[in-house]
Amino acid sequence: MRGLWKHRWLLREFLGREIKNRYLGSVSGILWVLFQPLAQLAVYAFIFTLIFKVRFPELEGHGYIAFVAVALWPWLAFQEGVQRATVSVQNNAALIKKVAFPNELLVYASVAATYIIHAVGLLLVLLVLKLAGVAIHLSALPGFALLWLVMMAGTLGVGLICAAFQVFLRDLEQILAPLFMLWFYASPILYPASLVPPAFRVIIETNPISYFIGQARSLLLYGDWTLGAMDGVAVLGAMVLFWVGLRIFRRCATRFEDFL
Amino acid sequence: MRLVGLNNVSKHYPKLLHSGDRLRALYSVFYTKSKGPHFQVLQDINLEVHQGESLGLVGVNGAGKSTLLKIIAGVIKPNSGSVHVNGRISAMLELGAGFHPEYTGRENIRLALSLAGLSGGEVTQRLPEIIEFADIGGYIEEPIKHYSSGMVVRLGFAVMTAVQPDILITDEVLAVGDESFQKKCISWIESYLSGGGTLLLCSHSMFHIQKLCRKACWIHEGRMRAYGDAFDVTRDYLAYHEQKSMSDPKLVSSASDYRVTELSLHSVGKSDGSQIEMGADLLIAGRLHSPDGRPPTVAIGLLRADGTPIYGVNSDIDGFIPKQAGAQVYEFNLRLFALPLLPGKYTLRAHAMDPEGLRLFDTMEQGFEIYGRTRELGVCRLAHSWEST
Repeated sequence: MRGLWKHRWLLREFLGREIKNRYLGSVSGILWVLFQPLAQLAVYAFIFTLIFKVRFPELEGHGYIAFVAVALWPWLAFQEGVQRATVSVQNNAALIKKVAFPNELLVYASVAATYIIHAVGLLLVLLVLKLAGVAIHLSALPGFALLWLVMMAGTLGVGLICAAFQVFLRDLEQILAPLFMLWFYASPILYPASLVPPAFRVIIETNPISYFIGQARSLLLYGDWTLGAMDGVAVLGAMVLFWVGLRIFRRCATRFEDFL
Repeated sequence: MRLVGLNNVSKHYPKLLHSGDRLRALYSVFYTKSKGPHFQVLQDINLEVHQGESLGLVGVNGAGKSTLLKIIAGVIKPNSGSVHVNGRISAMLELGAGFHPEYTGRENIRLALSLAGLSGGEVTQRLPEIIEFADIGGYIEEPIKHYSSGMVVRLGFAVMTAVQPDILITDEVLAVGDESFQKKCISWIESYLSGGGTLLLCSHSMFHIQKLCRKACWIHEGRMRAYGDAFDVTRDYLAYHEQKSMSDPKLVSSASDYRVTELSLHSVGKSDGSQIEMGADLLIAGRLHSPDGRPPTVAIGLLRADGTPIYGVNSDIDGFIPKQAGAQVYEFNLRLFALPLLPGKYTLRAHAMDPEGLRLFDTMEQGFEIYGRTRELGVCRLAHSWEST
């Protein structure tokens, strides 16, 4: 933490670059990064509400779009955060080979940038939904912000490990894409956990993403602030994951230069 | 104060031949005992650099100089041994390293300064002075990809000057940029050194090493071969190169090779030519080898011991043709009248060139000393008289 404070200016530079990079050279600018998840949401809404005409009790009072939206953005932040973190070290090989600095800052910057961009996207969507008359509990946003931070800590942990391993094993990036697709459908994003047959329930229950999605829904859709033991486990788990990730990353960082 | 201390530092790189090697390498990061196939880059280097010292690193390509600088700069960690560094290091392993082509010069300066550990306020404060030093005009707002390579280097050096490091590390960065910028760089480094700065310089230019460094270290095949006074080390290093090219049969027996085979100095009444009295005539005699029997051109140069050229002339300019003394042997004698050089150490160089005086083939060097009693300053005495108008 002290190291992070010392390098805050450098982190800020990296972060600014990361965010700027996402829209540098694109005509639509920053809007593009918001457009992509919106398009994805529109496709799901079309398929599941107009073609499949899904109905389940959790939709009461919000509709399918709000139900998916509050889960989709956290998922995207996680997935994109890990994927961008994975290539962050490799993409900055030129810098790492010539300049001494704490390499983990690159991972922090790419994950944080992703979380910032998707937080903005989600906020805009929530506002639009609220204005459209959907029951969204904006008063629960501070709680959601905490949840967002915990999730980011966990993502950083995973991202640090992936970024370090990617330097040695270049195929990790390719393995991650199909893995995330499977993970996406194994998480209760497009469907509620209650619809999953008991035989497969264990997949949902052991999936940490389910916790974050469930909490996001109960906060934003129901305004439910009650804390449970699971919240403590999640905070602790995310911190441990981050710590382990950082240890592994720093260990590997001593040999990055040999492989970049 | 000791700024850098290296203790038995060794570094090896893994050999990555098969796809499995990467997996094994990752394994060896966590279980350090397994080593796998590797090649050694540095072996048992012990080195200390104190405040105010300037150290030059010399060695052939691939000797491990750059790796050593990277280890001191903290870019890589040694496999064994320890590295201690006190103070702010500014490493210019490559001028403009880390510059991103898509960003403007200004944005790149910001990141480079942040990488050097400057805070946001300091960055904003130093920006104007850096932009002024770089002197690239309106290009500062253009993306780096539109820059010429010289402009990138200017920007890189300008950043380095603004960081005010305790230790400055440069890896062959002086060989770039145009003449006036090079001079600007050298004079900046000289003022940095006279202000108590510490320099680590890696260069193939013995001139730069001798000019900027007090001490030098010769790295050969990953080991330290010599360490000491910059002049001694560079002299040994150059001698090694001469020997190497002599023992290389291709170079010696090359048919189109004009060579200097003998070179001697005399002054009036003295047989030992290495000690010459100030103001005496200096006689230079030598023999040249001509592979095709045509008379070669000979060029003679006088240099100060630090490499500063004093005077150079060649037989072609003066219309002199060396005298034939054998089938492929030519002789020449050159007299320098009343040598006005002030006491000190000098070097005489003789070069063999082709008969057209276009290509230089061989160099022979000999040091000599001028002795005498005078309190004049500089290199040579200029004819003068004080006059009371």
